[in-house]
Amino acid sequence: MSEVIVVTSGKGGVGKTTTTANVGTGLAMLNKKVVMIDTDIGLRNLDVVLGLENRIVYNLVDVIEGKCRLKQALIKHKKYPELCLLPSAQTRDKDAVTPEQMIQLIEELKQEFDYILLDCPAGIEQGFKNAIAGADRALVVTTPEVSAIRDADRIVGLLEANEMKKIDLIINRIRMDMVKRGDMLKVEDVCDILSINLIGVVPDDEQIVVSTNQGEPLVGTDCMAGEAYYNICKRVMGEEVPFMDLDAKKGVLNAFFKMFKK
Amino acid sequence: MTREVIIKSNKYGINLILDDHLPFEELLTLIGEKFKETGSFFKDAKMAISFEGRQLTNKEQLDIADRIMENSSIQIVSIIDSNKDLEELMRERVEAYEQPQPEPMVSYMNPQDMGMQGMDIPPTADFYKGNLRSGQTLECASSVTLIGDVNPGARIVSEGNIVVLGSLKGNAYAGASGDDSCFIFALDMKPIQLQIGDLIAKSPDKEKGSFRTRKKGKTEGSQYSPQIAVVRDGFICIEPMTKGCLDRL
Repeated sequence: MSEVIVVTSGKGGVGKTTTTANVGTGLAMLNKKVVMIDTDIGLRNLDVVLGLENRIVYNLVDVIEGKCRLKQALIKHKKYPELCLLPSAQTRDKDAVTPEQMIQLIEELKQEFDYILLDCPAGIEQGFKNAIAGADRALVVTTPEVSAIRDADRIVGLLEANEMKKIDLIINRIRMDMVKRGDMLKVEDVCDILSINLIGVVPDDEQIVVSTNQGEPLVGTDCMAGEAYYNICKRVMGEEVPFMDLDAKKGVLNAFFKMFKK
Repeated sequence: MTREVIIKSNKYGINLILDDHLPFEELLTLIGEKFKETGSFFKDAKMAISFEGRQLTNKEQLDIADRIMENSSIQIVSIIDSNKDLEELMRERVEAYEQPQPEPMVSYMNPQDMGMQGMDIPPTADFYKGNLRSGQTLECASSVTLIGDVNPGARIVSEGNIVVLGSLKGNAYAGASGDDSCFIFALDMKPIQLQIGDLIAKSPDKEKGSFRTRKKGKTEGSQYSPQIAVVRDGFICIEPMTKGCLDRL
């Protein structure tokens, strides 16, 4: 029984692609067969974040136009052979694909994979419609900023109108020090406005930038964001995982304590 | 320009303002001529029609409708004999006629959920459950109670009163037909804009640093304080909802 999940946000730059890469990799680490589809035709970058850019020969549009077989376009990940990427075309635009074609493609992929992750482009136009067409579940990514929340709210409304079965929220790039000072919206405030199920909170982490530039998702590594993404993956699979304490102070002393705990 | 027959139209229908003194036969010819001139403008529109300025018998109304259809390609699907909330009525009649694609009053929401499909006469009050999210609009010809939130960027419009059992953080427009005796009630009143009748009020501009204080205030007393917006002396006022407030309505 495979699940099709779309990662969307409305606003750009909140971390859809990073989330897709990390959740996809995390699910693969948990021994699931995962395929990620980059639906951002014309502005592809999921391949870059995954470090698979140099392996692209065929892409999503080629598959849909019948220029190659689906198998030929799928790129296997370096570390996890169960993890595949279907990259988008860089030279075309969103209108090269229709929602019906996407549904057909996803049906084909369902035969083989446990999870199909769709990286949605920003905005609510054709690209968004394509991405959500075949999905039965959505992860809405937002940052604790009013502009991102406003867009996320719009997206949730559109997803509900399209009868999305399950909609979960990921709050990305939260900074607990700023929340404490009262300069940033709290997790509860965001949940209050959007009133959908919270599936994860990812702290703002320098390591994310490093990992993105290196093309290696940091899920599962020993940093806050890595742990947070790993927890999200487990929750996506239906496990009950308590939310981690984002407030834990980093430092030599803390690392020392941590050693003892282990 | 003859003043005996005046045609006013909107998207869903035509309102004919007729002279009261002219003999009916003469009037009928005039209407025929008038629609011959302007009929092409309406193309093959399906429309409702209503009359003003003159008492007409049912037969006379039918005669006029026939005359219009003879002289133009307009399809008259309904005759409305009174002129109260005209556009709304016309629109509902036309939409009831075009059943296959009923345009829901709430954009993006399932019309069945909202109970608006095929409704002939607007009831005196409507109930809706659920949140209105950014970009969604709820429009009602009557008073409306929403059980849920109106989020920033969403809009709730009613020709009567509005009651929001939840947070009102978007825009609300009560008395949309120009009635400024309407009120807007919300359990948590934090609107971007309020409109009552022809009046409009916006939320106060944020002061510098108010974000911090507001947040702090919220953590201390996070319970709702129900408030009501009414028009007093030509201004929209937001008052706490008290019993005395109820008596003054």
